Parts: sequence; C-alpha cells; structure tokens
Amino acid sequence: MSSVAARRNSLRSRIWRHRHFYLFISPFFVLFGIFGLYPLLFSFYLSFARWDGLTELTWAGLGNFAALVHDEVFFTSLWNTFAIGVLYVPPMFIGAFVFAIILNTTWLKFRAFFRAAFFMPVVTPMVVVAIVFILLYGQEAGLINYLAARMGFQPIPWLVSEQWSKPAIALLLVWRWTGYNMVLMLAGLQGISNEYYEAARIEGAGAFQRMWHITLPLMRPIFIFCSIMSLIGTVYMFDEVFVLTQGGPGTSSTNFGLYLFNVSFVDFKFGYASCMAYTVAFFVFITSLFILRLRRSELT
Amino acid sequence: MLSAAGRDDGARLQTRGKAGIITRMTKRTIAGQRAAALVLVSALAFIGGSFAGEPLTLDPSISPTDLTGNIQVWGWNIAAASLEKLVPPFNDIYPRVIVHVNMTGAYLQSRFLLSLSAGVGAPDVSQLQLAEAARYSRTRRLTDLTPVARKYEKDFPASFWKNCVFEGRIHAIPWDMGPCAVFYKRDLFRRYQIDPASIETWDDYIGAGRLLLERSGGQTKMLQLSTGNMEGLFEILLQQNAGQMFDDEGRIAINSPQAVRVMSVIQRILEAGINANITPYSHASYASMKSDLVATYPTAAWFGGTIKDYAPETKGDWGVFRLPAMERGGLRTSNLGGSVLVIPDQCSQKAAAWAFIDYTLCTREAQIEQYRNFDLFPAFLPIHGDPFFDEPDPFYGGQKVRRLFSQDIERIPPLNRTKDWFEALRYLTQSLSKWATNGMGPPEEFLAQLEDKLSRRLGRDIAPQAHLEGS
Amino acid sequence: MVAREERYYRRRRKAGRLLTHFLMICLAAAFIFPFYWLLISAFKAKEQIFTLPPQFLPHPWLLRNFVKVFHETNIVRAFFNSTVIAAGHCTLSVFLCSLAGYAFAKFPNAPGRNKLFAFVLATMMIPGAVTLIPVFVVLCKVHAINTYWAMILPGAAGAFGIFWMRQYIIDSVHNDLIDSARIDGCGEFGIYWRIVVPIVKPALAALGILSLIGVWNNLMWAFIVLRTDDMLTLPLVIYLLNGELRTPYETIMAASLIATLPLVVAFLLFQRQFIQGITAGAIKG
Repeated sequence: MSSVAARRNSLRSRIWRHRHFYLFISPFFVLFGIFGLYPLLFSFYLSFARWDGLTELTWAGLGNFAALVHDEVFFTSLWNTFAIGVLYVPPMFIGAFVFAIILNTTWLKFRAFFRAAFFMPVVTPMVVVAIVFILLYGQEAGLINYLAARMGFQPIPWLVSEQWSKPAIALLLVWRWTGYNMVLMLAGLQGISNEYYEAARIEGAGAFQRMWHITLPLMRPIFIFCSIMSLIGTVYMFDEVFVLTQGGPGTSSTNFGLYLFNVSFVDFKFGYASCMAYTVAFFVFITSLFILRLRRSELT
Repeated sequence: MLSAAGRDDGARLQTRGKAGIITRMTKRTIAGQRAAALVLVSALAFIGGSFAGEPLTLDPSISPTDLTGNIQVWGWNIAAASLEKLVPPFNDIYPRVIVHVNMTGAYLQSRFLLSLSAGVGAPDVSQLQLAEAARYSRTRRLTDLTPVARKYEKDFPASFWKNCVFEGRIHAIPWDMGPCAVFYKRDLFRRYQIDPASIETWDDYIGAGRLLLERSGGQTKMLQLSTGNMEGLFEILLQQNAGQMFDDEGRIAINSPQAVRVMSVIQRILEAGINANITPYSHASYASMKSDLVATYPTAAWFGGTIKDYAPETKGDWGVFRLPAMERGGLRTSNLGGSVLVIPDQCSQKAAAWAFIDYTLCTREAQIEQYRNFDLFPAFLPIHGDPFFDEPDPFYGGQKVRRLFSQDIERIPPLNRTKDWFEALRYLTQSLSKWATNGMGPPEEFLAQLEDKLSRRLGRDIAPQAHLEGS
Repeated sequence: MVAREERYYRRRRKAGRLLTHFLMICLAAAFIFPFYWLLISAFKAKEQIFTLPPQFLPHPWLLRNFVKVFHETNIVRAFFNSTVIAAGHCTLSVFLCSLAGYAFAKFPNAPGRNKLFAFVLATMMIPGAVTLIPVFVVLCKVHAINTYWAMILPGAAGAFGIFWMRQYIIDSVHNDLIDSARIDGCGEFGIYWRIVVPIVKPALAALGILSLIGVWNNLMWAFIVLRTDDMLTLPLVIYLLNGELRTPYETIMAASLIATLPLVVAFLLFQRQFIQGITAGAIKG
C-alpha cells in the first residue's frame, strides 16, 4: 500500500472515528443550507432579475441596480434611517451609560427595581409598544401633548406631521432600547476590575480622569458592540415603523427596513428587493468593519 | 457532505451561465456539480410556477336554497361595509351560504398577495381596485369566470370590462366606478358670481379659476392640487382624452399628442396659480372641504362619500357640474378608481363565492342599495334607468347628480393598465412633481423623458409614434 | 477644622446621592409609565381612553374590553400558537446549539474542525434581510407556509448560540468527566445528554430566553408566513385589530395586555437569566 493510500485511509478512518462530531454539527449545516446559504445565493441571483413570485422570472441584468440609483424613495429611506439614528442613538447611549454607572455604584438602593424598570421595555412586544405610543402621541387627546399644553407648549403633531414622525419614532426607540444597552454596559462596567480605580485614586486621579482614562477605554468593546447592534437595528428596524406610522405621513418616516418590506411583500418586486437588500447589506457590512477597526487601536 | 456546500459556491455560480459572474474558481467535485444542477433545477422549478385553473362552471342541479358554503370576503372601507349590509338580503335567496365580510384594511393587498403566493389563506371573494385587476389576472391565481360571467359583458361599460379581461378570459367583475365631474361649493360660486353652466371646457375652467382668485382677493382657489400628487388629475384627463400609458401590446405609449394636451392643461392650471397646494386625504384637505379655501373638486363620484363623511354639516351647499371637456363638444366625463371583485383560484367554494358576487354586483336591487346607502356608483349599466337616478339629492341642494354622473359613461375610452400600472403611476407622480417644481419645461420634453424612464424601469418597448395618432 | 470639612463633604455627598435616587426614581417611573397606561387603558371604557384631561385611574374598572377581545378575536388560539411556536423554536434552538457547541468544544481531533467553526462564525455576518424572500419562496413551494414549522425552523440554528455554548462548555465541562464516561462505555449522545446538559443548564436557560424573546414578539415574519386566522400569533392578532374605518383601541389595549403579561411576568421572575442571555453576546462577541 502506498503512503498516499495510507494517508487517505487514515483520513477516512479519522472521520469515521469522529463521526459523532459531524453528526452533531450537521443539523446546523442542514438548516443553514436551507435557510441561510441557499437564500443567500438565490437572493444574489434575483438581484439581476425581475420576478414577482407569481409570474415568470425575466432577466434584468443590471437594470435593478440602475433603477436603484434613481429611486428617490430608496434614498429617502436611507436618509430617514440616518436621521432616526442620529436622533435616538446619542441620547440612548448617554442615558444607558449614565444609568449603568449609577447602577454600578455601591450606594444605590433598589438596584433590581431600577434594572427591571429600564429593561422591561425590551421584553415587550413591539406591537404593543407602538400602539401604546400611538395613544400617548395622539394629537388632541394624547397624554404627551396634554402635558405639554399644561406646561405651556404647543401640542406637537407627532404622527400626522412630516417633521415630527421621525422624532416620534426616535423617542419610542430611546424608551425601548436604553435599558438594553444599559444592561450591556453595566456588564461591561462590572468587568472592570477595581484595582485600576484603586491605583488611579492612589495616584490622585479625580473622578473625571478615572472615567476618561480607565472606564471609557475599557468599555470600548462594549461600546463597539452596542454601536454595531444599533446600526443594524436602525437600518433593518421594522415593527416600530410598521405599527406606529406605516412609514408616513408620506414617506417621512420610512426607514430602510420598512421600504424593503414594502418592495418585497407589498409590491412583490422580488428582484428589485433582493438587489436593494444586497446593496445595503454590503454597505452595512463595510460600516461595521469600520467600527470594528476602532477596536484595534491602542488602549491607553 | 453538506459541509462541502460552502466550497461549492464557485461551481454553482459557474453553471448559471447567464449570470456570467464567477466569483472564484474552486475545485469542482462530481458531488459539487450534481449539487449545482439540483439547485438550478429546483430554482427553475420554483420560478416557473404558473398554472391556470379550471374555468368556473356551476352545477345547475343545485338550487339557491340548496347551495351551502361558508365564505370569507375581503374588502376595504365603505365598500366592505356595503357588502356586509347586503348579506341579509343575500341570505334570503341563498339561506345556507354563510358570509363573513372581513374589514381589516391593514395591508390588505400585501396579505392578499402573500396568500396567493402561498396557495393558502386567500379569501373566497376579494375586492381589488380596477386598476390592479390586470396585474392579478396575470398571475393566473384567479378563477376564470368566463363561463358564468360572459353574459354580463354588455351590462358594464367597455372601458371597465376591458380591464377585467385577460387573454380573452374574464377574471374580475366590475363593481363600482368613479365617473368624474366637478363638485363645487354653491355658496362660493354665488358669492363671486361664477356660473357653473358657463364652464364647458378646461379653458373655461381655468378662466373661472382666475376670476375666482381675483374676486376673492386670493383667498379662494379653484381646486386643490399639490404638485406632489398630480397623478389623479393626470389620469382623469388622460382617460377623458383617449390617451394611454400602455398600448394594446403593453408598450409605453405615454408620449402622445393626447398626453401633450393633458400636460398643457395641468401646466396652465399651475401657471394661473388657481390651485391650493394641499395633499389629498390630509388633515388640511378635509379641513378645506368646510372652509372657503377651495371652491371645486374635479374628481370622481365617490368623493361625495368622502364629503359626507368628513364634512356632513356642509349638506345642501354642494353642487356638481360636468367635467370640462378638452374642446367644446368633447367628452365631459372620465373615470377615476373603481373596484372589482375576484375569486382566488384556491377558493374551495367557488359556487358559493360566485353566488355572492352575482347577487351583489349583477342584480339591480343590490347595486341600487349600494349606491343608496354607501354612495358606490354602480358600474352595472342596467340600473342606470332606475328612478333612483332621477331623484333630487338634498346633499347637493336638490340637484339630480346621479343622472349627471351616469351620462356618457359608455363613451369613456378604455385605459390599458397592464400589471405595471401602479409602478408606472408612481414614476409618473414623481416625474410630475419634479417637473412642477423645476420650472415646468415643455410637455413634449417631459413626456419624452417619462417615456424613456418607463421603458427602462419596466423593461417595455416604446410604442411607435404612428400608433398614437388620433384616438 | 478637618472634621467640619468632612461633615460638609459628607453632607454634600449624601445630598447628591439623595438627588440621584430621586431622579432615578422619576426616570424609572417614566419608563414604567407606558405599561401603566396600557394596564389602565385595558380596563377603561372606550370613551374614557381619549378623554381630556386624561384619566389616570379607570372609573370604573371594566372587564368588558376583555370580553370583546375573546369575542372578536381568537386570542386563545393565538396564545396557543405563540406558545407552541415559542416552545418549538426555543427547544430546537437550544438543542441544536448546545449539541453543536459541545461537538466543537470537545472533539479536538476531528478533521476540519477549526475550519468548520470558522465557517459557522462567518455565517453570523449574513444579514437576515437578504434571505427573507428566498426563504419565503422555499416555504411556499414545500407548502410549509401557514404551519408552525415556518416560524420554528428559520433561524433555529443560530451561529451565535453555537459560539456561546461552545465557550460555556469549554469553560465549565471538564475533559475528565467526558473521558471517564467514554471509558464507561457511554454513547456519545449519552454523554451529551447525561453529562453536558445538566452542567450547562444555566446557559441553556439564558439562550432559551434570548430565543424566546425573539420569536414571541416577532411580527414581520409572522405577518408574512401565517396566513389564516387559526394560525396567527399574539402580536399578529393585535396588529390585525387595526381596522380601516375605526381602530378599536379598547380592544387592542386589552389584547395587548394579554400578550404582554407572559413575558413581563417571566422576566420579573427570571431576571437574572434574561440579563445573562443578553450580556453573553456582548462580552464574548
């Protein structure tokens, strides 16, 4: 028997010896093949075709991409996504961080209560959240406007005005996701060993300096994780917009997630939707990589 | 081994010759090629799925009292309410057919299409807009109603019937339509001494608008027209003047002399400044019905229902005059909107479903009821002779508006829709909006650009010019 | 002198802490408020939901909205559906992820193991949005639309779950245990079931809860694949209550309360596991 054959025998026998390994991981690969890989490839193919799922598929070449470049609603949806993100992410991050710091202190009472209170919005079905907020946002009879009126402000046309639909969604998102990010940041804070702070305190570093030089750098991985989650969440967010504003009035609050859904399952333009999904996924991927690169830079 | 799936991407992409994109060459294994072929075949099998069901035939031995069924009907808004009201009289004739009218309007079209695609969950009867009937017929997931509906062809306007027929087979039954005229506020016309009878052409209309603007010191505009939503008026004018978006072969036919005339009317309206820039169906729009801001609404008959819903207190102050024609003596009506009823092919109780459609749409008493109670102007021609049409309507100051709306509707030219109608409409709307805000260039140029855009986006050829001359 | 300064700073610190507590309580109240509003709206009469000034307490507490919910919708069935789907999805997910995680953790000599694991990690980068349409098409063609499987299978095997289980198993299951079990003649699956699973129960719970939140609250996919009234899940039932002519807020609020309570109660009881599931991703990810 040649050495090649001996080697081949050995590989096959090794695989056989470890057959349970392959058996145990195969369900994942089967499911992934059906629901991950095949869709990925078929979707890519669809990007170059025109199909409504019900009639015949026709080839479109780069037609979908050309149409995408001229699609005003697409760019509006991207802009809206960006605007909503800018409106809600900073307050949410700051709030989450501040809450996390406060929850991390030794002297805070009712810690579990606070944690539960801030996190509860996360476990609530989005539909419910949105509907409750519709009530709160109601123009004449909404609670928020009522309170605003009592404090001397003008009632805000939250859901019927093109200017205010995005802030309406942003406020909802802040409410919903602050707790989630708070919990993540809290875990991160708890992972920072006290020794660092002790050492800094001994060296005379004030609270602000401790924050700047110890906390923030060591929290960087968490911040990066939260950022990427927020990015992906905002781009593909669906439930909130679907229920609260349906993307309206007009297209003022249509984010990409809703637009993609509309093109896919209302207009039934499968080819165009796939093209759009791939394009945006690509850019999200690039942006995520960019954010991840920030991890590589030196820790002080 | 399935773990080889990842490595065979390259092989798979390569066998899809048409794609011509080879991301990476990898080592082909026999298994890889077989897997590739399997995927390709299954993909094609997925794609090819068109099938035409059997045309609907009824069993004549089953009498109405014996017919059983439990059918779901989908509709929206007042149309659904109107169907619901017809269920008791329907049950007088078909006592053993239970009808559920589902009024969930939320994303009805989406849910309907999803159910059609999936082959499960579609209602037994569904409402569709007339303009989208073509799109759904084409999917071949609707029941072919030709054998049972053929006899009704002459009972509906030709323009409607054409949109319900696909490849010679009938897939939808016309329900209500939107014959067009102009709703006006009597008080404002009186105040500013405008005589509705003097408005016969669009030129007259624009002239009256100018007078109105002048005499009211700029307070009252002739109509509401927001530059971002001009497709409604465009469609009314286009159909009135026998223009087409698509020709009979589905080619882009928008760049025609008729369309140029349509554009020039719109251009003159905007230039005269006689429009209020209000978005339809907005807060401001509903408010304008009650205020002095807007004097007329050139739109379809169903708008009356909207006025009654949102401004019931204005009863008596409204009147209607016939749609202005393009030139003196021309057609003074058009159509906007309208619905049909269809039976998805997956329905298992087609006889019961058809019985319901037959009753609600093709009998005089049902159509009269719908018009009487819900202002749904029937497309069913035989009832237009009914005395109900000649009754004065107190909401319009005693005017016989129903007779006015019913005039000349058989003369309305058909408008080809194709499955891309709404997408084309969207491009039209966007283009019109841009055209209006960018200085309104010459109509010919606008139409040429639009024609090109539609051709590219929809993948359709452009109809040769010769086809478009005349009507 | 020093003592006085000390007292001064101590008082300032105490005041600061008191203020912080106060602010936190106010903010927590603001966060809880929508739940409160949901709760009371569900018990209010229809007219009272939109009155001005807003009523902070229902006058009187009514059960009629709940009666309407049971009358007009099949919420019981929807609850059942949601439960079946959640149970199926979570069980499948937890089972598959722990099994695969165990395999990747404790079979160091299997050929190709590292490459396969790298592949698994890579799949985490695939955005779900790109796969929606093809998965829908696949399910249509195999007539799985409108079945529980359509909700359970997609996403059941998540790379993240595998990654996390592997990590947890590496950290907490000692090789000696496994080796001695093998010597004793225990089958591979038996090792997994009898040794590994009991040890990693906390991780299973956390993963299960993460899975649960995702699938219980899912609206979009449910909207797409559940096509008949008897298959709807809770979020869908609530959403579809939105009529066109009139939105029956009182019914929606009651239904929403019913839909929200299970998870909220579960959360309050199992806070730690919830949090653990969420944070696991961030720490290791």
